[in-house]
Amino acid sequence: MILTPEVLTIFILNALFAFFGIVAFVLSLSIYRNWNLNSVSQTQYKLEKQSYLAATIIKFIFIIKVPLFLFFVFTLDKISNVLTGAMCGAGVVDATVYGTPLFILKIINLYIFAYWIVLNNEDMKDEKQPYTKQKFGFFILAFFLFFGELVLEGVMFSSIEIDKMVSCCGTLYSSSSASALSSIFALDISLLLGIFYAVYMLMILFYFLKNRYLFGIANIIFVIISLVTVIVFFGTYIYELPSHHCPFCFLQSDYYFVGYLIYTLLFLGTFYGLVSGFIDLSQEKRAKSYKKSLIFNTLYVILLSLYPIIFYINNGVWL
Amino acid sequence: MIELKNITKKYEINKNNIVTALDDVSMKIQEGELVVLKGASGSGKSSVLSLIAALSKPTQGEVIVDEKHISKLPDNFASEYRRDNIGFVFQKYNLIPSLSVRENILLPLVPLNPDASDVDEKLNRVMNMFQIDHKADSIIKNLSGGEQQRVAIARANVNDPKIIIADEPTANLDEKLSLHFIEMLRELKALKKTIVVATHDPLFFDLDFVDREIEMHNGKIVG
Repeated sequence: MILTPEVLTIFILNALFAFFGIVAFVLSLSIYRNWNLNSVSQTQYKLEKQSYLAATIIKFIFIIKVPLFLFFVFTLDKISNVLTGAMCGAGVVDATVYGTPLFILKIINLYIFAYWIVLNNEDMKDEKQPYTKQKFGFFILAFFLFFGELVLEGVMFSSIEIDKMVSCCGTLYSSSSASALSSIFALDISLLLGIFYAVYMLMILFYFLKNRYLFGIANIIFVIISLVTVIVFFGTYIYELPSHHCPFCFLQSDYYFVGYLIYTLLFLGTFYGLVSGFIDLSQEKRAKSYKKSLIFNTLYVILLSLYPIIFYINNGVWL
Repeated sequence: MIELKNITKKYEINKNNIVTALDDVSMKIQEGELVVLKGASGSGKSSVLSLIAALSKPTQGEVIVDEKHISKLPDNFASEYRRDNIGFVFQKYNLIPSLSVRENILLPLVPLNPDASDVDEKLNRVMNMFQIDHKADSIIKNLSGGEQQRVAIARANVNDPKIIIADEPTANLDEKLSLHFIEMLRELKALKKTIVVATHDPLFFDLDFVDREIEMHNGKIVG
């Protein structure tokens, strides 16, 4: 078990999240089952008060959880200093069997939490509260992922053995790695880059066609293809090392913490893309959401593309 | 028009002590009507006012104002409704003693963020109407009871609300000032405001410009 100040902070916050999350979950069950806005019964008025309380609890948990993801990444990076063999957060993730599932779950939850926040905002802006039943139903499902994340996080940090040797990112993110990750290095880079830029161009096309569903789907594909391209191609230009593919090292000060910017842009761009695609918004709000998605995704593409271009200008060769 | 439909309002002091302030009360108040709610303390008059002003929600039943179901409004929309439609005169005025007359009156305008000329126009209108313009820059704590009451009424009217609600407005006044308040009500009535006054002051009974008196007892309408 490892107990640094950062891990303790996460544990304390998780205990609070678990307590308030359970309260909100119990209230959500009752609201979802009995909600009828047209009713003027005692039960409905009670539910209206409870829905305000439950929505406030969930909103504050999720509002804190979203940026807390960056703190989690920062914590992984920080404790890599005390684990033998670990050079960055990648080694900490790989230190236990729970690391990778937790990391994937956290990424999925990030979108789920942010989606709920948007749904709640839309609900609170309309006096008819059109999304109340939907948002609490969604939370009931999301609660299991949310709670699973808290448990898994506790288990992961508790299982880290400080005196046990772990793998470094150079070993984990290479074609010789024993993990499933090694298969992505077998992909043709030209093809991969072609898909990356093609999906980006498709997003622009769907924006002009105003096809929300295709725009949303393109954003889902963009998240996956972006993460793979960062590992296989763009990362090597950030490090200026053809053999270094780690998606964690560029979060460190040696690379001016550029990873935080890269991942934040990717998250914001694709998140607003999903909101445009899958939430029923007014035309004006959808237009804003489309634009935000395109702006953040474009900044992301430009930022990543600059690394190989600048490298080529400086050195006259590609890696 | 204001409509209360089968309203029950209970206050839970604790699990074993639940007070029923209103028990299946229904009433309609027409636009421009002046209604006096009378009855002893604890009869439910103030609960009716707080429901009309969307300050509280019923335990059961419905409050409809201009076809809007205000008892179903979420809190943020209830605040907007109050800001745009209700002028409230409280028993103890609820003025801020350290601010001037002008500052107290313009308080309801602050959330609307109007431009300065609009503020001046509205302030001058109500200060003139309720004859408090000569005290515009005086601090509230230096005013007499009657003057403070005029400030309270001016503040309730600065947004030009459709509905004026007054809860025991003369409870702290002597008879002369109470009669003066009644005269101000007459002026508001002439402006076609819908007015609901909760009082047990006999000065309000049998006034020629009052459209209706509703008597309440133990949370029910009895007359």
